[in-house]
Amino acid sequence: MRYGDFTPFDIVLLLQGLGVSLALFVSTTLIGLVIGTAWAVIRFYRVPVLMQAVTFVAELLKNSPVLVQLFLVFFGLPAFLKINVTPTEAALITLSGNSAAFIYVIAVSAIESVGRDQIEAARVFGLTRWQILRRVIAPQATAFAIGPLTGLLVNQLQVTSLISVIGVMDLTKVGNILNLRTLKPFLVWTAVGLLYYLTAKLVTYAGARFEKRLRAHTAWKGL
Amino acid sequence: MKFDLSILAKHIPFLLEGAWLTLQACALAVIGSLVLGLVVGAMRTSASPLLNRLAAIYIDIFRNIPFIVQLFFFYYGLPEIGIYIDAFTTGVVALSIAGGAFTSDVIRSGILAIDPGVIEAAQVSGLRKITIFRKIILPIALRASVRPLGSVFINLILTSSILSTITLNELTGSAKIVASNTFRPFEVYFVLLVAYAALTYSVSILIGMLHRYLNRHQEEGAV
Amino acid sequence: MISITGLRKSFGAATVLNGIDLEIRQGEVVSVLGSSGSGKSTLIRCINGLEKIDAGKITVDGFDVSKPRELSEARKRSGTVFQLFNLYPHMTAVQNVALAPIEVLKVPRKQAEAEARELLHSVGLTERADAYPSQLSGGQRQRVGICRALAMKPSYLLLDEVTSALDPEMTSEVLSILAALAKTGTTMVFVTHEIEFARSISSRIAFLDKGQLIADLPTEEFFSATGMALPRVAQFLSKMRKD
Repeated sequence: MRYGDFTPFDIVLLLQGLGVSLALFVSTTLIGLVIGTAWAVIRFYRVPVLMQAVTFVAELLKNSPVLVQLFLVFFGLPAFLKINVTPTEAALITLSGNSAAFIYVIAVSAIESVGRDQIEAARVFGLTRWQILRRVIAPQATAFAIGPLTGLLVNQLQVTSLISVIGVMDLTKVGNILNLRTLKPFLVWTAVGLLYYLTAKLVTYAGARFEKRLRAHTAWKGL
Repeated sequence: MKFDLSILAKHIPFLLEGAWLTLQACALAVIGSLVLGLVVGAMRTSASPLLNRLAAIYIDIFRNIPFIVQLFFFYYGLPEIGIYIDAFTTGVVALSIAGGAFTSDVIRSGILAIDPGVIEAAQVSGLRKITIFRKIILPIALRASVRPLGSVFINLILTSSILSTITLNELTGSAKIVASNTFRPFEVYFVLLVAYAALTYSVSILIGMLHRYLNRHQEEGAV
Repeated sequence: MISITGLRKSFGAATVLNGIDLEIRQGEVVSVLGSSGSGKSTLIRCINGLEKIDAGKITVDGFDVSKPRELSEARKRSGTVFQLFNLYPHMTAVQNVALAPIEVLKVPRKQAEAEARELLHSVGLTERADAYPSQLSGGQRQRVGICRALAMKPSYLLLDEVTSALDPEMTSEVLSILAALAKTGTTMVFVTHEIEFARSISSRIAFLDKGQLIADLPTEEFFSATGMALPRVAQFLSKMRKD
């Protein structure tokens, strides 16, 4: 095997990798948001059995390495269920589940951040539990959750790098390939690191902007 | 396929060896990140703008780049500049540096939370800066930081699974070997996931006990 | 001697001390009176070097507090007792008192702790010597605070509204200790709202108003016709007596 220098095409390769990372990041975040919020609603309604199951699964996902979860889905599920799981599918399933677990925790504390007195007041007015959730809790809880959620997203963006281990062509995997080909590890990993860094900063910035806008909406504007 | 854990029985000694390596790496990395975190946390709260800035840059970089990228940077990069250290040492160093970034943030908030009057009392009694830091600031900040430091260290345990990607046969690395030897990846990774969850759960209980022990005289809160 | 000349101190646009001249000689008890916001506490914080002064000069036994090298010498000569006690929350009463003697004066730990116990005994805290601040009442905490300042055997004791955070009962337990200290000839600078008490223990009263020292008189003169001749003093005293 011949080791080669960098070519202009490597930039395209890096950007492609970044695209894959971002696509998986965005899609698993959205899926995680839906599932995690649904879990929190289950808890809000105190659905028996289901509520305990959700808490248990979330704890398990939060307290085990994502790499092991990834291996369980990618290597374990096909062997156990005799099905075919591609690296991308495994990545989607694992990262969505993992994000869901953390979003669940944030959603629960966001719901709990809304004062009991408000909920009781709403109940006195004859609102149903669902109406209370939609009209009273959801708007306030969202504002509360943005901060922790931004922190989580920066973290989950970094977690996507693990899918390179099962062969998904994400930014880190592209880094691996370039590293082996050029044997210039400092340069390659600095470039890869920088791309991750900039993306993380972008997520942080977007979160701060969104929070500001949300707060501007809920701020008292006078009569 | 039947879910059968009995096949794993004869591989338990091998897995325990891996677990032992994980514990060693984590213990060393906890010490490493604590030392680094204390130094950087002190810099981050120092009056010197230069030290403050340097500390902020370090924290920013290592919190916003995926650990696996940092790990590859060191693992492939260090030999290039003539530093030959084994995978275990590289892993501990990388974990310490990444953990140090999170630890210093915790230490910093612990320091900033100290009642300034207490530090003033120490200043006027003529204590030297270094003595004030060692005898007053550090003990108070550390007591207040036990729980957040605990979550940093639990994260360190979970992150240590990534060391398996640089040929280190710690717990996850050995499990990979057992999975491919037994053709039972589902059982292996399922047990592994539960094992990590149990490990981090027991660590979190220990941390809760440590917090209560160290803060046993502070329950009423200072006036 | 603590010597203050031409002291100025402002926070942003607000001038808190505007040209103060004051001398405190060994053996004196000087009470600093004045309404809230008159700069009394800031004066103490300038003497012990917690605030940087903008102009003027403060020396403690000749050591200039605005020079970092001399500040530590100046600080060895004065002890401060704070309004909010500021005890070290992670240390017992004895450890609070013994820390500075051990670290600054290099007194052996055993000796320093024995002396700390003796001091705590003298303020009636024999039983509470090994308690942590959170386990003590406000008055007990302040007594520990006084012991902590005394442990350094200071030439001057700076007291910054030491009873303001205490209820009346606790206030009297702290004041009785200070009265005893005054009798032993300890030099004190006493920033306070406790007018009657100040009158009973002080040799001199310094009265601050809007950052200026408008009266510096022997105690009885301050409370007699001479003091009353000053409109601000008369106003202050009548208001305080009404409260």
